[in-house]
Amino acid sequence: MNANILPRIAIVLLLALIVCCRSAHVAQIVRPAGHITLTYWSATNAQELEFANRVAAEWNAQHSEVQIKVEPVPSGQSSEEVILAAIAGQTTPDIYSNVNPAAMQDLLDADGVVQLDAYPDFFDALHGRMPPDLLNQYRSSDKHFYQVPWKSNPVMVLYNTGMLRKAGVSTLPATYSEFLAAAARVTRDRDDNGRTDQWMATIDYFPIWYKRLYDYLPLYLAATNGQSLLQGRRVMFDNESSLAVFRFLHECFARGYVPRQTFQGDVFLDGRVAAKFTGPYSISQLKRYAAADFEYDYGPIPRPDDATGQMVSFADSKSIVIFKSCQAPREAWEFIKFAISKRNDLRLLELTSQVPIRAGLLEDAEFADYFKRNPKMNKFAEQVTTARSIDSVAELKEIFDAIAQEMEASVVFDLKSPEQAVHDAARRSQQILDAE
Amino acid sequence: MMQPGEANKFSMRSKTAVGGQVLGHGKSRASSAPRTRDVASDRVGYLMVLPYILHLAVFLGYPLAFAFVLVFHRWNIYTPMKWVGLGNIKLLLTDPLIWRALVNTLYFLLIHIPLQLVIALGLAQLLNQKIRGRAFFRASYFMPVVVSGVVVTILWQQLYATETGLINLLLQRFGLPGIGWLTDRRYAMPAIAIMATWKNVGLYVVLFLVGLQAIPAELYEAAELDGASAWQKFRLITVPMINPTIMLVLVLSTIGGFSLFIEPYVMTGGGPANSTLSGILYLYKQAFFFSKMGYATTIGFFWAMIIFMVVLVQRRFVETEAV
Repeated sequence: MNANILPRIAIVLLLALIVCCRSAHVAQIVRPAGHITLTYWSATNAQELEFANRVAAEWNAQHSEVQIKVEPVPSGQSSEEVILAAIAGQTTPDIYSNVNPAAMQDLLDADGVVQLDAYPDFFDALHGRMPPDLLNQYRSSDKHFYQVPWKSNPVMVLYNTGMLRKAGVSTLPATYSEFLAAAARVTRDRDDNGRTDQWMATIDYFPIWYKRLYDYLPLYLAATNGQSLLQGRRVMFDNESSLAVFRFLHECFARGYVPRQTFQGDVFLDGRVAAKFTGPYSISQLKRYAAADFEYDYGPIPRPDDATGQMVSFADSKSIVIFKSCQAPREAWEFIKFAISKRNDLRLLELTSQVPIRAGLLEDAEFADYFKRNPKMNKFAEQVTTARSIDSVAELKEIFDAIAQEMEASVVFDLKSPEQAVHDAARRSQQILDAE
Repeated sequence: MMQPGEANKFSMRSKTAVGGQVLGHGKSRASSAPRTRDVASDRVGYLMVLPYILHLAVFLGYPLAFAFVLVFHRWNIYTPMKWVGLGNIKLLLTDPLIWRALVNTLYFLLIHIPLQLVIALGLAQLLNQKIRGRAFFRASYFMPVVVSGVVVTILWQQLYATETGLINLLLQRFGLPGIGWLTDRRYAMPAIAIMATWKNVGLYVVLFLVGLQAIPAELYEAAELDGASAWQKFRLITVPMINPTIMLVLVLSTIGGFSLFIEPYVMTGGGPANSTLSGILYLYKQAFFFSKMGYATTIGFFWAMIIFMVVLVQRRFVETEAV
């Protein structure tokens, strides 16, 4: 052994490491001829995993040459973050069914997903499911389609109707005044110890961007009949509607109808809070965990008292994509068409209480029995074609962070006026867009 | 504590060993056999430390070098890096939130460190006495140190809750108004500092106990013979003798304070109105909310530089005191 042996050993070890890693990677993508296995990442909740497993099992039984392997998306702060990390680490699955349309621009920037309208039957498959106007909401900035709009969870207000009834509220609020009036009746000190222990609603007010997708955004869309926050790269929310939303939320906090604190556990479920902003997926949770006599119903997103026209909410939709790492994208596309068939859309409703983005759900005979058995889902089915998706710009998180910061300062802690807060949020958002 | 005789023995052994090594490399020992043996021994030594060097290179050297490269780039993980020169540094210097985070952290340290020192030393002094159930109390105070930070934080969040928290309930029982511990800008950071002190004090109690038990009993006996009061013994014997431990606690608390993350992340999200935004929380948001890896690493280096400078000042202070 001479003195130069150490660098050589180090190089050999590093090369061995690299070879091992490459071998593992190659082993993952090379498949025996004539037999393809596609990995499908589903959302992690039990209901959706069950849906994915059943669909995959049915497909696998019919297609011995193309097998689907279902895995839950790895855990992380958010599924978008996990997917982007997977793209960076080249560990993406073949198919993923829970893409937030707001994150599509990131996936496109990363050159991570397959262009789906390149398949000749793309429009036939999608137009059979949704009208062209609705489909166009999911068209990317380069005018192509990279996602299959799959399901929609329009945000509404879930009420504990038993609490409302006890408080003397007989109809679900539809306007700001009605909501505040109901809140005044519901909010109280149940054990007379001088401290409020029952509230109208709870809002997670931490200044974290995605939390504003479930309060500010649906309220804004409802107040504006579905106007988007941006037009191209121009900020459009420095307006009266935004101001009305901030003022309404400010009233809720200032009058104590919404507590300035966070809770552990589900305070809606244990009857301390009468309302929360949520989607249809809460129904399956309530069926599983709520007491048998727990009464609930969904109401519209409150709007300004003088609002007219149809209420439009945030769709909170999710799409399906094929990643460019997929070695058999054509087969993956065939599986996606199978997964969004009418039969599987019904299965999605039954298993997950989530609504497929399919026009005419309430008129379709195949779904009639389901909606008859689950009348609370009708309100969501009605909104499938009207609920709005979110603006898709790469700076979306920062824009919502600006809104969250200003909303916290104004609405929650009263440190600045709603007028100033809305203006500052819009100004900051425009700066973010202009800086890129 | 090492006795004078032991120190001498150790010194002699050390000198012999060093002397032997010097002789081994001298001209009178120039024969090839020992030389080959030494070289072979060196190689074995290097081979033995190779795993550590590899570990260091892969998990510290490479990330550190990569992070330094990122300081001069814009990178969101999934698209190619873009050279921005000193853009991230300019942004840092003009970003009001990073300075806000620095002020918040210094405010946290201003409350946390004196509280930590006084409580830990006081408890250690008590637990160093011959009291009943001493082992039980020592274990009890150490318990929060081993419990998950997130769990402790969630528990304190409920204690601090404005409407339903136990602390406000107690205040109310005494006829005092409730306080927005986590929702009032004036109280949020002190509330976090109190919680962090409770969580960490057990560790520093142990350190102080070690320091207290190393003080020779003769010093106290001599002081008692001279008629010194308990306070005089504490001030003139205990404090100077545990000065290195005090400084160790100071340095560790400072580093811990600059790493403040879990508490504001779970309890306040950095609010109200950024009053509990810490440097690490801000870095986390930039990196993992907005995918601004270049700017996040710039904040990281800036923060590390500040910690380094503060600890350097403290170390100089330790050396001055120790002389």
